[in-house]
Amino acid sequence: MSQFLGPLDQAGRVPPRQQTRVAAFLVSAHGALARRLAFALPGQMKAGWQTELNAQFYRESETVSLLLRATSWTPDLELLLLTPSWEAAWLPAPASGVSDVALAHTIDIAALGHAVQAAIRPAALLPDNAPAQDPFVMALRRIEFESGRLMQAQILFLKGQELLPHRDAVNAAVEHRHRQVGDLWDAMLKSIGVERDLAPP
Amino acid sequence: MTDLTMDAAMPFLAHGSHRIRYEISGPETGPAYVLVNGLTQYSELWATYRETLVTQNFGIVTFDLLGQGESDKPTLFIGQDDHVAVLRLLIAKLGDRPIFLAGISFGGIIALRYAIEYGETLAGLVPMSTFSELPPQLFLLGNAMRTGLILGGTGYLQDMLLPMNLSDAWLAPLMDKLDTVKRQGWLVNDLYALQNLMESFLDFQPLTSQLHRIQLPTMILNGEFDFLTPRALHETLRAHIPDSALIIIPRAYHAFTLEKAALTADLLARFANDVLEERWNGGGAVRIAPEEAGGEIIPFPAEFDHLRAIPARKAAP
Repeated sequence: MSQFLGPLDQAGRVPPRQQTRVAAFLVSAHGALARRLAFALPGQMKAGWQTELNAQFYRESETVSLLLRATSWTPDLELLLLTPSWEAAWLPAPASGVSDVALAHTIDIAALGHAVQAAIRPAALLPDNAPAQDPFVMALRRIEFESGRLMQAQILFLKGQELLPHRDAVNAAVEHRHRQVGDLWDAMLKSIGVERDLAPP
Repeated sequence: MTDLTMDAAMPFLAHGSHRIRYEISGPETGPAYVLVNGLTQYSELWATYRETLVTQNFGIVTFDLLGQGESDKPTLFIGQDDHVAVLRLLIAKLGDRPIFLAGISFGGIIALRYAIEYGETLAGLVPMSTFSELPPQLFLLGNAMRTGLILGGTGYLQDMLLPMNLSDAWLAPLMDKLDTVKRQGWLVNDLYALQNLMESFLDFQPLTSQLHRIQLPTMILNGEFDFLTPRALHETLRAHIPDSALIIIPRAYHAFTLEKAALTADLLARFANDVLEERWNGGGAVRIAPEEAGGEIIPFPAEFDHLRAIPARKAAP
């Protein structure tokens, strides 16, 4: 096990099998967020924060599109089993303890967004010697950078005054999504020889 | 011979449902130092202190704050009370021995808060590059750092902090290796967790009115050129903590615990030994540390104002 992707192949790339597995996971998670945002948007036409929802929708779509283009894909039969399990995990799970159903679903979308954008740090997987101009390397760095900005909308919403009465439920929902996303991400990484929790050197 | 039997590989302490990574080195009895990290730090950065102080028979305790490094990172909310509670658990684990608590910057505030509440469990306190209130400059700088973190990520925050907190002398030989210098801190610190730590200041209440409750020997350390937490903020600590002395570290900036580790470790050892041998008398003194470890600590010239950067004579009382 290594803390980082690699070793790099003879062309200096992250091995295509690792690229494929990582990109498939990210496409699944960010694609799910894009789909849920697409469904949520029409109901928010009069809300001031539709600006943020709209931006999030297009950013998540951009992440999917970028990965489809920048990844050196290779056939991976295990994805036939892995992808459905990932997709099942992203299904709506309205925050428990919140009686307003619409609000409970919105909290869940934000919680899932926070988990995907905060707990997953794809650029932190890159080894020191990863070539800066490689498309996959650039894509992972961009996704992590943009995730840092995107999660601000989730933070503002989840820590906002409106949800103060539901603070425990919100906290539980976000912690649950973080554990879920983190566990799936870790399992996927282990399957390609990467363990992110290795002690620092 | 020093007993290193307490060296343990990354044990964890439970705080509610969260795990805190800590490390204890050195002898199991006798005095011990507990070292509290600054905002973007992690416990490995105290390695020099561990090496230096263990050989002088001090126990050393380092840990990653909740939200830092290998400790758990609460997703949305971290209160400063949580850090104080963790310190309480950690110090209780050390048993009945003289405990000295030292904290840098953000960690200095946690140390001050702990000393206000639980001073009776300590033998001495060392607040370093820290403050008890948020005057406008520091408040606005903190806000700018938070915005920088949000807009530019952890790397941008590091880019801001490195030149603010370290000297040209330290930076110059590393200019072509700065990415390597920053990398471990970038790897172990997650943006959302750093943001949570910073946002624990959004409802920060000044500690100054409670500082008089710290009735224990206190050595306040301040870098000569620290403009993030300048002299006046340390002067507030000196003026309100009864048995304190302010020691100015020559040519040092905010992060002198990194830049001048050997000197700072020596000052920590000397302070603890003075306290244990009942030689310490803070008395509100202002002193100047030596340039190198082992040198003489001298009084700040009485006729000059230690709050000025030019040799201005003190105003008549």
